[in-house]
Amino acid sequence: MTIAPKGPRKLTMKQRYEALTRDLDWEPSYVDKRDVFPHTEFEGIKIHDWGKWEDPFRLTVDAYAKYQAEKDKRLYAVLDGFAQSQGHLSLTDASYLNAMKVFLQGVTPLEYTAHRNFAYLARHLNGPGPRFAALCQSIDELRHTQTEIHTLSNYNKYYGGFHNYLEQHDRVWYLSVPKSFFDDALSAGPFEFLIAIGFSFEYLLTNLLFVPFMSGASFNGDLPTMTFGFSAQSDESRHMTLGLEAIKFILEQDEGNVPIVQAWIDKWFWRGYRVTALVAQMLDYMLPRKVMSWKESFELYFEEQMLGGLFADLAFYGITPPKHVDDAIAEKETLSHQVYWTLYQFSHAAAFTTSVPDAEHQQWLRDNYPDTFEQLYQPLWAKEEKNIEAGGRHFWRGLPQLCQVCQVPMLFTEPGDPTTICQRESVYDGETFQTCSNGCQWIFEREPEKYVQAWLPVHQIYQGSCGGPTLPDVLQWYGLEEGDSGEYKGSVDEKNWNTWHDDHAPTGTEG
Amino acid sequence: MTVKSIGAYEFPSRSRQELYGDDQLVHVWFTDTLWFAAAACFRAPRAMTWADFWNGVVVPFAEEDPDFDAAAPRVWTLHGAQFQPRDDQTLAELGVGHKDVIGTRVAA
Amino acid sequence: MTATPAATRTVGVDIQESEANRSVVEAIEATNDGCTVKHMPGLVRISAPGRLVVTREAVEERLGREWETHEFQLAIVSYFGHIKEWDDDEIVIAWDH
Repeated sequence: MTIAPKGPRKLTMKQRYEALTRDLDWEPSYVDKRDVFPHTEFEGIKIHDWGKWEDPFRLTVDAYAKYQAEKDKRLYAVLDGFAQSQGHLSLTDASYLNAMKVFLQGVTPLEYTAHRNFAYLARHLNGPGPRFAALCQSIDELRHTQTEIHTLSNYNKYYGGFHNYLEQHDRVWYLSVPKSFFDDALSAGPFEFLIAIGFSFEYLLTNLLFVPFMSGASFNGDLPTMTFGFSAQSDESRHMTLGLEAIKFILEQDEGNVPIVQAWIDKWFWRGYRVTALVAQMLDYMLPRKVMSWKESFELYFEEQMLGGLFADLAFYGITPPKHVDDAIAEKETLSHQVYWTLYQFSHAAAFTTSVPDAEHQQWLRDNYPDTFEQLYQPLWAKEEKNIEAGGRHFWRGLPQLCQVCQVPMLFTEPGDPTTICQRESVYDGETFQTCSNGCQWIFEREPEKYVQAWLPVHQIYQGSCGGPTLPDVLQWYGLEEGDSGEYKGSVDEKNWNTWHDDHAPTGTEG
Repeated sequence: MTVKSIGAYEFPSRSRQELYGDDQLVHVWFTDTLWFAAAACFRAPRAMTWADFWNGVVVPFAEEDPDFDAAAPRVWTLHGAQFQPRDDQTLAELGVGHKDVIGTRVAA
Repeated sequence: MTATPAATRTVGVDIQESEANRSVVEAIEATNDGCTVKHMPGLVRISAPGRLVVTREAVEERLGREWETHEFQLAIVSYFGHIKEWDDDEIVIAWDH
């Protein structure tokens, strides 16, 4: 065996990317290209030159693997340290974990769905650049699924609500909101998916979802979640880039693509925005120590960065801000209060607990929502406090009306009128369908044949598809156990927490 | 506009009335209180009388609101117009269809 | 939406606050005139009008070792703007239009 002399080995990033990513593509010689990539024409998007796709990250397999491995090493060191030092005892409060329960049940399974769909794009897009970017993202999403499960599994040893998240994602009423959102994208064509998830979700809304969330974890002593969050977010910047490249590429390829893309932005902004309602209440109600209000976060991450920055950029292509964005802006002072008030009265049927915000918390809400909290929501909590004193606790004795599109209970109010519930009605094929907002109604009427198939939890319960006719039957079918649901005060989590923090008892004895 | 798809795209509604037999879904919306975060959804026979629907289905639900008064005079709306249900009328006779929304508030 | 031209519209980057990233943050601060640095729990946000540059040289100077721009992937949490350039020597975030 002869050893070849060492030549000048080092290629620049650009050259390496060209050689190791783009150049590995080939032209099919004995199969028609349309048969190789059969899904990239039916949506009406026209691509003339796939080679024009840019990947600023210029990733190659070796560089990708090297840095992802490093990210995982850093994360798992933190997870071990936290578990070994009984880190869960240094959280601000056990009630903090309600936010993490919603995250594990609602978001983690979406990561897995994203993994599947980006694998599909990695197979089905014609160009090697986008295929490789999609492949990396597919592997990232799988990594996120795994790291989130690993991170939160430590809490599952000590707290309720974490043990059945996968089945619950498929079954429980509030989790049908994120699930149906992603299923909607999953069942669209490859280009719509790119705009739905790659652009509208990853670029437009992901900061709103993750950054305050991870700061919240940091602020509440949850080091592992903060670390997985930032670890995932570092991939997220690549995903944002994929989303932004995708939209620019599609818009630049053909002028006829512009109205198609605009309609997808209009649709997917609103779809994604409705899912972030769950995050809004997390920020304002579920974090014992607050980072920033939903309103502030929405103004910073969405209004300033996206409307002020991004859409000014996209105006060049004739793209305008999403159709119902004004309704979203009008809601920023009411959204989180309405959503938490709803979760509060349904938490007997959820895998998390809720409680009346205490005096200090209500003061924070007054300070951050000077125009709405005291006038509209404080009286409701005052009434509930009296109700509790009289031995009650506000839990619904029935089921709510759901929006046919976003599947959130119809709790949202008319734009500009925070005391009137917004009800929209459409008739399709002789059947009545209700939606919660102008945005959801517009989405329904654009593609009614898609949304009439919605698996609405309330309707399914009444059809007998959810374990049986009574509430206990349904809760059993949800896999809820003692300590998962209901009121936080007096819950198993709170009792354990108090025991562990009682100075007279050795800590961790019940662990 | 129709769904752009790779094949025929025609699927039945997952909430259509026939899936509920002789029953239907009925929404009741208490428009003068935010105590209930949304309108309620009930399953009830189309042949059920208004008295049975109100006393047997709606009141047991609404009583959970400490301010609820079952005997208070009320204003009713259906399909955007006011109506006055009589106790002996059935839901079908009242014109309440599958998934309709009945609005109600205490009369001023 | 022609409010502000690309040259002055704010771009920015969120970086995980850590000892290892301190040199990166300092390098960005030193390289970009008029940038604003804001500390939030767990992260540092740097924004600048129109354009933000991370140069390998400035980072290496502060870090005291070789640093390849790929390593920026370990530091970045999020950004706003468009990644215009990412090569061996620099990363540029700016709006296009």
